[in-house]
Amino acid sequence: MEILLSGQLLVAALIIGSIYGLVALGLNLIYGTMRLLNIAHGDLVMIGAYTGYWLFTLAAVSPVLAMLAAGALAGLTGAALYFGLFRRQLAGSQPIERIEANSLLIFFGISIVIQNLTALAFTASPRTYQALDTLVRIGEVSITQSRLIALAVCLGLSAAIVLFLRFSALGLSIRALIQHRTASRIVGIDVDRVQAFAFVLGFALAGLAGTLIGVTEQISPFMGFPFTIVAFVVIVLGGLGNLAGGIAAGMVLGLIETYGVALTSANLRSVLIYGVFILVLVLRPEGLLQRRRLT
Amino acid sequence: MRLLTTREAVPLLLVAAIAAVLPLLGSDYYLGVGFALFGWIALAQSWTIVSGLAGYISLGHVVFAGIGGYVLVLTWGAVPVWAGALLGALAAGLFALLVGLPVLRVRGPYFVILTFGLAEFAKYVVINIENALGRFGRLILGGPPLETLYWAMAALALAGTLAVVAIRRRRLGAGLVAIREDELAAGTIGVPTVRFKLFAFALSALLPGFVGALFVLRTGYFEPAQAFDPVISFTIVTMAIVGGSADARGPVFGTLFLVVLSELLWSNFPQVYMIVLGTLLVGFVLFAPNGVAGLFERRWRVRGAPASG
Repeated sequence: MEILLSGQLLVAALIIGSIYGLVALGLNLIYGTMRLLNIAHGDLVMIGAYTGYWLFTLAAVSPVLAMLAAGALAGLTGAALYFGLFRRQLAGSQPIERIEANSLLIFFGISIVIQNLTALAFTASPRTYQALDTLVRIGEVSITQSRLIALAVCLGLSAAIVLFLRFSALGLSIRALIQHRTASRIVGIDVDRVQAFAFVLGFALAGLAGTLIGVTEQISPFMGFPFTIVAFVVIVLGGLGNLAGGIAAGMVLGLIETYGVALTSANLRSVLIYGVFILVLVLRPEGLLQRRRLT
Repeated sequence: MRLLTTREAVPLLLVAAIAAVLPLLGSDYYLGVGFALFGWIALAQSWTIVSGLAGYISLGHVVFAGIGGYVLVLTWGAVPVWAGALLGALAAGLFALLVGLPVLRVRGPYFVILTFGLAEFAKYVVINIENALGRFGRLILGGPPLETLYWAMAALALAGTLAVVAIRRRRLGAGLVAIREDELAAGTIGVPTVRFKLFAFALSALLPGFVGALFVLRTGYFEPAQAFDPVISFTIVTMAIVGGSADARGPVFGTLFLVVLSELLWSNFPQVYMIVLGTLLVGFVLFAPNGVAGLFERRWRVRGAPASG
C-alpha cells in the first residue's frame, strides 16, 4: 500500500499521461478536422520509435534530435497519404458517413502495410536501446533523464499546440473546421490547405512521441496498435475534437493505468486499457468532457 | 419467383463444386487447402451478414472464432468432439447477443473501433485466465481425421453462403439493407432496427464459433494469442471487401482469390502476403467498392443488354 502513496508512482503516471495526451492530440486533430479516424496512428508512433533506435545505434544521435527527424518522417508520410489518397476522398460528393467508413478501412489496410513493411525491413523481433538513462533525483523521486525529457517535451508541445490553436490564424482556422466544416468554407477558410496542415501535424506529433516512447519501451513492428487504442480512449474521454480536454484525459488515463497496474499486476495492463475503452464507448460515446458544439 | 437467381446460384454451386472436386485430387495437401478455403468462406459470409448487409463494419470478428475454439478446448474430453464444437458456436452466438445490445447502440466509426477493442479485450482476458490457470497453450490429441474436418468445414461454408442468400430474400435482409442506407429512416418506416441488428449480429457469430473450433481441431493446439489474432479479422474484412459484400457471391470470389494468393506467398513470404492484402484492401475500397463481384457485373452490363430491374 505504501507504494501507492509514493511520489515515484505519481510521477510515473504523469509521464505516461503526458505521452498519451500528445499521441492523442495528433489523432484528435485529424479526426476533428476531417472526420478521418486513423487506425494507423499507432504505427506512426512505431515509425518514430524505429527512427530513434536507428539514429542512436548507427550514428549515436541523441533521441532529442532524433525526435525531430522522426516528426519530419512521419509528417512526410502524412503528406504523401493526404495528397495521394485522402484529398480526393474528402473533395468527393459522398456523404460523410461513407467517407468515415471508407477511411477506416483504408487506414486499416495502411496500418497492415506499414507494420509488415517494417517487419520485412527490420525483422519482427523486439528491440531496446539505452540512451539518456542517467538517473535524476528530484526530492525523493528519481527518474531517468529520458523520461524527464519525455515529460517536458510532451507537456511543452501540448501547451504550445493549444496556444497555437487559440492565437494564430491557422490555428483558429483548424478550430473553425472542427466546429463546422461547411461554415468555415463559407467564411473563406482555405479548407484544403488547413486539412493538409492538420493531417501532417497529426502524423508528425505521433512520430515525435514515438521516439520518446521508444527510449523507454520495447520497439517492435506491431507495437503501434495499443497506442491507437489509447489515443481513442483519450479522445473519447476528452471529447472528439476537444483538444484541451484530450490532454486532461491523457493524464486521467495515465493515472488509471499506473495505479490500476500497481494495485493488480502488470499482466492486466492491456485488460485494463481495453476495458476502460469499452466502458467509455458504451457508456458515454459523446465523451465525458465534451462541451456542446454545433454540428 | 424463380427458385434461384443467377447471383444466388453461382456462389452455392461454386462452393459445392469445389467441395466435390478437391477430394478427387487425392492428396492431403488439397484437403488442407480446401479446409482453409471453406473456413474463410464461412467467416467472410458471416461477416457479410452484419457488415455487408447492415453496414455495421466489424474489425473484430475473430473474437467469435476465438470463443468457439476456447470452448472446444475447455470441454475437450468432457463432451463428444462435435458437441464441443456446437457448444463453441452457441457460446459465440450467446456472447454476440449479450454484448450486442450495448455495442450496437454505438454507431459509425465508434462501432468499428469498438469491435476491434472488444476482440483485443477478449484476447487479453483469455490470456490472463490461462496464465492464472498455469496453462500456456493446450494440446488437443486424437481429434477427427482431416477428411472429416474437410467435409464439416465444407458444410459450414455452404451453410454460410445459404444463410446470406436466404437472409437477402427475406424481410430481414431488406431491413438490414435499409438500416445500412439510413437507420433513422428505416426505423421510421417500421423496420424493427434493434431486433434486426441484434439478430444479424448473433447470426454472424454462430458460424465463426464453429469455424474457430474446427481450426483448433485441425492444428491440434490452442493458444489465445493465435486463436484471437487480429490478423484473422483483417483477413476476413479484406476477403469480403475484395469480393464485394453486397450479396453471397462476393465472399466466395474474394476468398478464392486470396486463398490462392496465400498458398503462393504465405509460407515463404508471410509479410509480403500481408502487404499485398493491405494494398488490395485500400485499392478496392478506393476504386472498386463493390469488389470483384461488382466488376463482373459492370462488364456484363456494358456488353449485354441493359439490365432489367
